[in-house]
Amino acid sequence: MKKSQKIEDFGKNPEQPLTEVKLEDLPPLPPPYDKLEEQPTWKEIPEEKKKDMACNLDGFVGLSLPKPASAEEEKELVDKFVSGLQKLLTKENNWGFLQPLSLTLEYCAKCQTCNDSCPVYTESGKNDVYRPTYRAEIWRRLVYKYAKKSHPLMTKFKHGDIDLNWTTISRLYELAYRCTMCRRCAQACPMGVDNALVTHELRKMFSQELGWAPSELHEKGTVQQLKVGSSTGMSPLVVKDNMEFVDEDFSELSGLDANSKWDVEGADVLMLHNAGEIMAWPENPAAFAIIMNAAGVNWTLSSESPGYDGVNYGLFYDDFQLARIALKHAATAKKLKVKKVLMGECGHQHKAMMTISDRILIGDMNVRKESCIPFLEEIVFSGKIKLDPSKNDFPVTLHDPCNITRNLGIIEPQRRILRHICPQFREMTPHGVENYCCGGGSGFAIMSGNNFADWRISLSGRKKFRQIINAFQDKPGPETKKYVCAPCSNCKGQIRDILEYYDAKEKSNLIYGGLVELIVNAMVDIKEPFIKWDE
Amino acid sequence: MPGSLLMIILYLAVAVFVVGLIKRGLKIAKLPIHLRWELSPVPHEKGKASYGGSYLEEFEWWTKPREKSLLNEFWYMFLEIIFLKGVWENNRRMWYFSFPFHFGGLYLVVVAVALFKLSAFIGFTGTNTSAIASLAIGVSVIAYGLGAFGVIGLCIQRLTDPVLKPFTTPSHIINLVFLGSIYVSGLAAIFSISNYAAQMTGFIQGMVTFSPPALPGIMGLHVILASAFLIYLPFTYMMHFVAKYFTYHEIRWNDTPMPGNDKMEKEVGELLSQSPTWSAPHLKADGKKTWVDIATEEMDK
Ligand code: SF4
Ligand code: SF4
Repeated sequence: MKKSQKIEDFGKNPEQPLTEVKLEDLPPLPPPYDKLEEQPTWKEIPEEKKKDMACNLDGFVGLSLPKPASAEEEKELVDKFVSGLQKLLTKENNWGFLQPLSLTLEYCAKCQTCNDSCPVYTESGKNDVYRPTYRAEIWRRLVYKYAKKSHPLMTKFKHGDIDLNWTTISRLYELAYRCTMCRRCAQACPMGVDNALVTHELRKMFSQELGWAPSELHEKGTVQQLKVGSSTGMSPLVVKDNMEFVDEDFSELSGLDANSKWDVEGADVLMLHNAGEIMAWPENPAAFAIIMNAAGVNWTLSSESPGYDGVNYGLFYDDFQLARIALKHAATAKKLKVKKVLMGECGHQHKAMMTISDRILIGDMNVRKESCIPFLEEIVFSGKIKLDPSKNDFPVTLHDPCNITRNLGIIEPQRRILRHICPQFREMTPHGVENYCCGGGSGFAIMSGNNFADWRISLSGRKKFRQIINAFQDKPGPETKKYVCAPCSNCKGQIRDILEYYDAKEKSNLIYGGLVELIVNAMVDIKEPFIKWDE
Repeated sequence: MPGSLLMIILYLAVAVFVVGLIKRGLKIAKLPIHLRWELSPVPHEKGKASYGGSYLEEFEWWTKPREKSLLNEFWYMFLEIIFLKGVWENNRRMWYFSFPFHFGGLYLVVVAVALFKLSAFIGFTGTNTSAIASLAIGVSVIAYGLGAFGVIGLCIQRLTDPVLKPFTTPSHIINLVFLGSIYVSGLAAIFSISNYAAQMTGFIQGMVTFSPPALPGIMGLHVILASAFLIYLPFTYMMHFVAKYFTYHEIRWNDTPMPGNDKMEKEVGELLSQSPTWSAPHLKADGKKTWVDIATEEMDK
């Protein structure tokens, strides 16, 4: 039996990783992906790098945190960390999450009922460090011992002991990026305690107090978006230029009107894409344009920074960055006097705009927001576009983005569409509100520093890959082309990486894409198939 | 044991418990409104709850009437509270002990106490209540038996199961042992005192008239242990039954949109005018700038 990981040891043995993860410890994948020797090996962190950078959790490094240069610097960090823990529990600093966080702090029964719901934990071969409760328990003990400064004996009696030092802090920082915040564990908790919220709050505390956040989310993410207009780096001029190419290419290819509309005042719909689509999957915004033009929707895009990029990575790590971007998105909609803002196929954008920022936008800033999924359902079943399901006569399965399903409760409209237009649609097990995260949630899909990509693909993405393979058990071989429908940019990024990693196009003829692409592919008037299998 | 002493202890315990209960509830309720953090399935979503759907599935949801089913919420909580549905589904091994403990050691104990009270109150009218008192004894035996079985099982699990052990603190064990002592003393009293029902009924009547009779030692000890537990309870996480109302109704299932909700807008407006003190450089929160100031300032280009 594996040695269980003691919570008290978290701050001990500074130079050693707290745990070791081995490929052979992970539950095997279904064939033909079950042979260990055929799987890519994980990158080792070079010894040189380890000298200056924290590499003390599990052998993987997502954050490249430099070690403190002196004992004084370490002390300063420890003090800041304690003040951050305290600020999380004050109204003026954290009113927006104070109630859920306080309840999660005080009422966990430590029953471990949530554990087996977590795909990271189970697919790690049940490594204690990845338990949903492990991270939360470290935080809880630190709060009681150092932030609330309860009597040491009382703390030990009620909550258990823990040390606080650089090792504790650096491990906890890295550990805050070993959870995708999918909230599957929260669904299973009988108390209503939320371990995903602990992840969220820890990340926030590191960012808002210590100024620590992954560069992919902060410098290259929210900061770039607020400065330039998009986390892709596209300025308003560049985005319009790029979209011009997309419009032309896809109008020609499809024989339909794929032209975008820009800055139409008073439009019914302001379409807000994740701008990553324009760069990585231009067929997605093109498909939206084709559908809306064909259905006669009065729609527009905005060219005002950052109103053409619906990304809001603040959701994953920083409330203020979230609010800054949300306010700018709202201001764009207000200025254009549109009737509603339509969320493109991007899960975290749905959550950031439709629910989280709902209670920070006051008065006429709170423009109506709608998910593209019911909007598309309305069009598909209205008869405004002619569809021929036989054009989609290949096996299709649906990945449910956590932010759209578990967090927003949008479950059935996408299924009604797929059942209508894809004769060979089949579900993954489990699905809908019980779905598993793609493994790229909470910003992971865009994080690949050091050897983090190895972790997020072979560990946090393992459950999803298993589900995808299992959904096509009746036609596993490469002779049948198969489509994974993932109506979310981040999920698509993660699924792209998983399929490439395991060479799944070659071995299983698997491709992935969004929902709109399937709708356009089924349109009677389209010149040639919209979905391309060989690109 | 002298009845008046037991009466004072018991009244004091009930008072501490009630005050603790109210304080806990108020403390949570008084926390500010939080950002939306709902989690599907939300059982009040009529016609959609069974698969976890919400009103956001509707085309232009704001134009549709909100259809809520409080009955669904009630049913969900009923199954969760009485049968520990979540534990049954996700942690079967623990359910075999947790369920008898909760169902027997808590809910049936409340039923038994209520039956003894009923017997005592009806007894004031001169009616013979021996049938109710006998029922109360029967329920008590089952309650204490199940409770003792549950706490012993949970104790063993917490101390030996490699999944639970690292998270077990001395307080977990003390809590269980404390509860166990109440069940065992109760069982010992019932089986060693031939007229337990009559004594208990008489004692409750005496509590009302402020002239309680003395109780045999073991029964007195049982009353003292139960009273001490009532005093201890408000200081522990075992008050999670209060918290559970909020975690479910106020967080998981609170999906109220802000537009059109003036009260909520006003509260949020006030919260946004507070001044945070986070010290990261990209925020420059100096304790003077408000949330609105920080959220609306431009990032340095
Ligand atoms: S989070 Fe919930 S399920 Fe998990 S240990 Fe705590 S109380 Fe139990
Ligand atoms: S939120 Fe998801 S990834 Fe994180 S601990 Fe819970 S189940 Fe695991």
